[in-house]
Amino acid sequence: MNIQDNYLKNKKNIFFSQNKDVQNHREKLIDIFENDRFDKKNNESLKNINLKNFIDFKYKYLIPEETSVINNNQENSYSIVSVNGQCSSYKDDKIEITRILDEDYNDFSKNHTIEKNDHFVNLNSLFLNSGFKIVIKKNNNIKIKISNIITDDHLTIFQKNNYICEEGSSLNLIEEYENKNNSTSNILNVIKLDKNSQLNHFLIQDNSPNHNLIITSHSSCRKDSTYTQKVYNFSEGYVRNFHYSELIEANSEADLQGIFFLKDNNTSNNKTFVKHLAEDCKSNQVYKGILNDRSKATYFSNTHVDQVAQKTEGYQLSKGILLSDNASFFSKPELKIYADDVKCSHGSTIGPIDENAIFYLRSRGMSKIAATKILISSFINEELSSIDNEQMSEIIQKKLVRYLSKVK
Amino acid sequence: MFLEIKDLSVKIENKKILNELNLNINKGEVHAIMGPNGSGKSTLANVLAGKEDYEIINGKINFKDNDLFDLNIEERAQEGMFLAFQYPVEIPGVNITPFLHSAINSKKKRMNEAEIDNLSFAKLLKSKASDLGISIDMLKRSVNTGFSGGEKKRYEILQMSILNPDLAILDETDSGLDIDALKIVTDGVNKLKTKDNSFLIITHYQKLLDYIQPDHVHIMVNGSIVKSGGSEIAAEIEKDGFQKFQ
Ligand SMILES: Nc1ncnc2c1ncn2[C@@H]1O[C@H](COP(=O)(O)OP(=O)(O)OP(=O)(O)O)[C@@H](O)[C@H]1O
Ligand SMILES: [Mg+2]
Repeated sequence: MNIQDNYLKNKKNIFFSQNKDVQNHREKLIDIFENDRFDKKNNESLKNINLKNFIDFKYKYLIPEETSVINNNQENSYSIVSVNGQCSSYKDDKIEITRILDEDYNDFSKNHTIEKNDHFVNLNSLFLNSGFKIVIKKNNNIKIKISNIITDDHLTIFQKNNYICEEGSSLNLIEEYENKNNSTSNILNVIKLDKNSQLNHFLIQDNSPNHNLIITSHSSCRKDSTYTQKVYNFSEGYVRNFHYSELIEANSEADLQGIFFLKDNNTSNNKTFVKHLAEDCKSNQVYKGILNDRSKATYFSNTHVDQVAQKTEGYQLSKGILLSDNASFFSKPELKIYADDVKCSHGSTIGPIDENAIFYLRSRGMSKIAATKILISSFINEELSSIDNEQMSEIIQKKLVRYLSKVK
Repeated sequence: MFLEIKDLSVKIENKKILNELNLNINKGEVHAIMGPNGSGKSTLANVLAGKEDYEIINGKINFKDNDLFDLNIEERAQEGMFLAFQYPVEIPGVNITPFLHSAINSKKKRMNEAEIDNLSFAKLLKSKASDLGISIDMLKRSVNTGFSGGEKKRYEILQMSILNPDLAILDETDSGLDIDALKIVTDGVNKLKTKDNSFLIITHYQKLLDYIQPDHVHIMVNGSIVKSGGSEIAAEIEKDGFQKFQ
């Protein structure tokens, strides 16, 4: 079915289809799809992807019967179970959760940092059927854990979430994606950090082989705020992590880290993009991948330094271990600097495990497989040992052990 | 015979490095090998330890009644072979404690001995480290990472004294050590030496052999042992060099 028919057929199910501005925006998107107006040259969102599979899809969505928000007052912590991309409303003096509004949609459609040639983002706008908005109120220090549950097989979730950290607030956000039901989740997170706020965002991804997860996020940081994102991808199904950060006021910081663990025929596409738009800002983009069997990955990293963004510090690194001759990891770092007083660097090292190190460890009596495992663990030791949340670090360790148990 | 190398010829990248080499070492003996740069000393050490880059074109090696070529790298270590590397490799992110603990236990397992628990191992490591003048801080660091040349060599000897091998091959362990460190390291070797274990010491300097008395000294040139004898050979080399053997 073509995109237009697919949309019209399911329109009643899709958010904001009565809103004029939204309609206008969607008409343009449909035109792009219908008349194949994508720019395919240098389009990072097309790498390793069979686009047809994602455009020619069967739309299916079920409104969840029940979602939950549990407030654990003592520790300022909340547990949220988001079902099929939805979350019930909640309000207290520290946080407020509502469903996403058409004004949020329109606000997003005017954002120009996210690649307009990204068909996944466009599909998300077109078929939007879920999403929520979380506001962390001024000067509060909050922990939230979100379990993203999908109830049925073959659902197509198109979800937009807004996170707003008000001035002086601090949020520790752990998101879990562990789904086993052959569905596709296409999620767009729009994150706003006001002055002097902080967001530590952890994403743990561990889906089964036929589950697709596409996450795109956009964060913007005002003065003295810090956005940190750490993605741990253990999924056996396709995952795309694309993250855009804008440092719009002075002395703000974006730290985007990811580690992916791939095996079998799996694919993962990754991108980070940091735009420095003010002075004295810092950014970090570090992705590491471990690839076994016939798995494939891409990582595009970009630092863009505007001419007003003096005293920028921007750092990019990608590293990969290929455990098999048939695995491949394509990495492309890019730097565009229009200011003169900046410190920027990028590096990329991808290759098989160090044979000399293996020989050294084995020559002490360690088996080849044990030596390989210890070297894989050491490759990500720095990132894992810097996780300052005990529960998180236990979860990650367990998943790492499971991944290593399949390494031969 | 404890270690018997017979007519060993080895190639790397189509270049013959070891050439019909013969060497026998008995239990309890200390052997030293001296030879000019590039004569194949480290190659011999690596072939003994099992490094896979080499092509064995001829010869046999027997180690403790095993055909050495039947054993893989870790099996050789578990059988009691130890190589102190000329250039120990840096392994960022790997700490010595879990790695050596797992190594010693795989050896115990092969020997059907009881494994060492965490606490006893930590104690053992600490006490051996302090014997060798290695600080606790250094034990916390990643294997060889950012170590000075001398620190790396001490670290090799620390591993040797923990694993307590039957045959220890020291490849230029003395190079890069200051005079005090040389004393500490050679004391460590002498402490470990019994009538049941053997040492193969590769060195360029007679000095080392003043501290560790070898039973046999061999001269290696172009991949073969060209002369064997007692300590007097080392003195001869020190005086005249390798000229007349080439
Ligand atoms: N991977 C390799 N590829 C090609 N040639 C090699 C390789 N490894 C060693 N060789 C060569 O083999 C020869 C012997 O090297 P080896 O390291 O065994 O010498 P050595 O006696 O230990 O020397 P030194 O006293 O300098 O340590 C040298 O000519 C060296 O260049
Ligand atoms: Mg050498």
